[in-house]
Amino acid sequence: MCSEAIMLKIRAAVMVAMLIGAVPARTLAQGNLPGKLPPIQITGAGRLYPIAVSGLKDLSGDGAHNVSRVFDTTLTRDLELSSFFRIIDSQAYIEDPQTSGYDIGQFNFADWRSINAEFLVKGAVTHQADKVMVEALLFDVGEQRRMMGKRFTGEPNEVSEMARRFADAVLEAVTGKRGPFDTKLAFVSTRGGRFKEVYTSWLDGGMLFRLTDNPTINLFPSFDRSAQHLLYLSYKGLSPALYLVDLGQQVETPIAPPLGMAVGGTLTPDGQIVGAFARGGHTNLYLLDQSGNPIRTLTDSSGINVSPSVCRNGRELAFTSDRSGNPQIYVMKMAGGQARRLTYQGDYNTAPAFSPDCKKIAYERRSAGIMNIFVANLDGSAAHQLTDEGSNEWPAWSPDGRYIAFSSTRGGDSRIYLMLAADGRVIAPLTEGEGNATNPSWSWWLGS
Amino acid sequence: MQRTLHGHGGSGVELSKIARRIGLAAAILALALTGCSSKKPPGAGEGAPGSNPGGLGQEGMGGAGGSSLSQFQKGQLGRGEQGPLSDIHFEYNDYTVRQQDSEILHSNADWLQRNPTRRVQIEGHCDERGSEEYNIALGAKRAQAAKEYLQTLGIAGDRMSTISYGKELPLCTERTEDCWAENRRDHFAVTE
Repeated sequence: MCSEAIMLKIRAAVMVAMLIGAVPARTLAQGNLPGKLPPIQITGAGRLYPIAVSGLKDLSGDGAHNVSRVFDTTLTRDLELSSFFRIIDSQAYIEDPQTSGYDIGQFNFADWRSINAEFLVKGAVTHQADKVMVEALLFDVGEQRRMMGKRFTGEPNEVSEMARRFADAVLEAVTGKRGPFDTKLAFVSTRGGRFKEVYTSWLDGGMLFRLTDNPTINLFPSFDRSAQHLLYLSYKGLSPALYLVDLGQQVETPIAPPLGMAVGGTLTPDGQIVGAFARGGHTNLYLLDQSGNPIRTLTDSSGINVSPSVCRNGRELAFTSDRSGNPQIYVMKMAGGQARRLTYQGDYNTAPAFSPDCKKIAYERRSAGIMNIFVANLDGSAAHQLTDEGSNEWPAWSPDGRYIAFSSTRGGDSRIYLMLAADGRVIAPLTEGEGNATNPSWSWWLGS
Repeated sequence: MQRTLHGHGGSGVELSKIARRIGLAAAILALALTGCSSKKPPGAGEGAPGSNPGGLGQEGMGGAGGSSLSQFQKGQLGRGEQGPLSDIHFEYNDYTVRQQDSEILHSNADWLQRNPTRRVQIEGHCDERGSEEYNIALGAKRAQAAKEYLQTLGIAGDRMSTISYGKELPLCTERTEDCWAENRRDHFAVTE
């Protein structure tokens, strides 16, 4: 972990005016829409803020260019993924970061205003023994003031993580809400063979790591709030079973309560387990502790109850049930009680996912043979379709609630894509390469 | 369990090795692209959970044809010797035994009556439409439906186990009604 020493200056007032002035997010194009779309809350601005990411000044004079390159590359990638910024090409930059200063009064704002930068990132890197210290600053070019600064100290291999944290802080300084990049993505992929394996990576694609290694079927990874644990379902023991992985220790616990065959499951924010188990043909949901001991029966109906999603507050549960005759989304209290049906349109709604503020649910609906992602309020109102290209499944919200990761076949093979939750604008694929990628899970922030 | 995972000509093991190399290469590439290195190099499964096929104790699938999973591991799903019992099929998003399949179940029951020491694992399978998790639950219903049918024909419940593979092991991968109909099945793997 990078240690984050001090926040140099309290961030200035949020640029609310700029957000309000943003053009309305475009409405979804043609087709498949249930009438008029409800009003859209604008989060991703229609206009992209031009920002310059100047290189870090090497204060040690011992060639810390690699640190600067890693920091700038990661920060640039994340700011682009955010869809709030347009990065000004470094070819246009007038000053040399190695010869100019990096703090206020040590460089000329006119050099940046002349290339139409509204925001500017500058900073410095120092080597101390085997540690790297990075100081990064965000400036408002028009007002010629420093908006925010952070200092990070860590190992040389932690520079990209410093950049992710700084990207999150830039989004917070400019939009008033922290960015979602100091997070991990877990997903299932067939890359490297026919077998579905669980992988993890940084949200922006760095550090791809293959977590499972068995020639069977591995599905449904989910993180707990600390992102230190991951639950998944595997057929490696021949019968499907849940496994709880301690990501730090790289050890795992089989979760095998005497409740029948495991069908799926998810981790609650505090690390308990909601598992779906089939017995006598009926699949129901149960709350289990971290060792797999049953705590409580959550559903008790004949038929199918699967795809649990627990809200971040730990109090609400969404799931899919066929109790009405076909798969529909239901919501109930984790403490128990009556389940309330959320979806009434369509005859196949599943894969519910709570937004981090627990006010919305994203889910997938099958219609005319293809799946699309929808979002509705917790009472089922304001349901609207977000996707309309290829088959789109398995929505996973970012911790800041602005984005949804999902799998889509729009490019041929299934890949994980990033879109804006407010209007479904697709930003970029998050996975690349061979094979099919499915079942994305998006962690909470790793750093505090 | 070990036998099925590693004992059938090693094709699964070989693939696993290749996959591991590719995974490692991908990890190295990812490192190169971001220019950072990890304190603990991601040995692509090294010491990872997958190397420990733990979990549930399961009898091996030693019978003719074997389980669909072991056939899949060998790259032979749906090909070659399928065992003495025949598959039955289902309507879309349904798990009731069809009228025309009752003859097959009677025939399967006859074989089990004639071979009283043999056991069977009934596998429920689904077509590709719908979510993975819902389909695993639907496959469990399909397997259970056949088990209950065979019980009414006098086969003891303790000779039959059930498992669902959901939509994970399709016999046919085209996106056609015929193909989906072929995949919506119960397979009967004789186990011992």
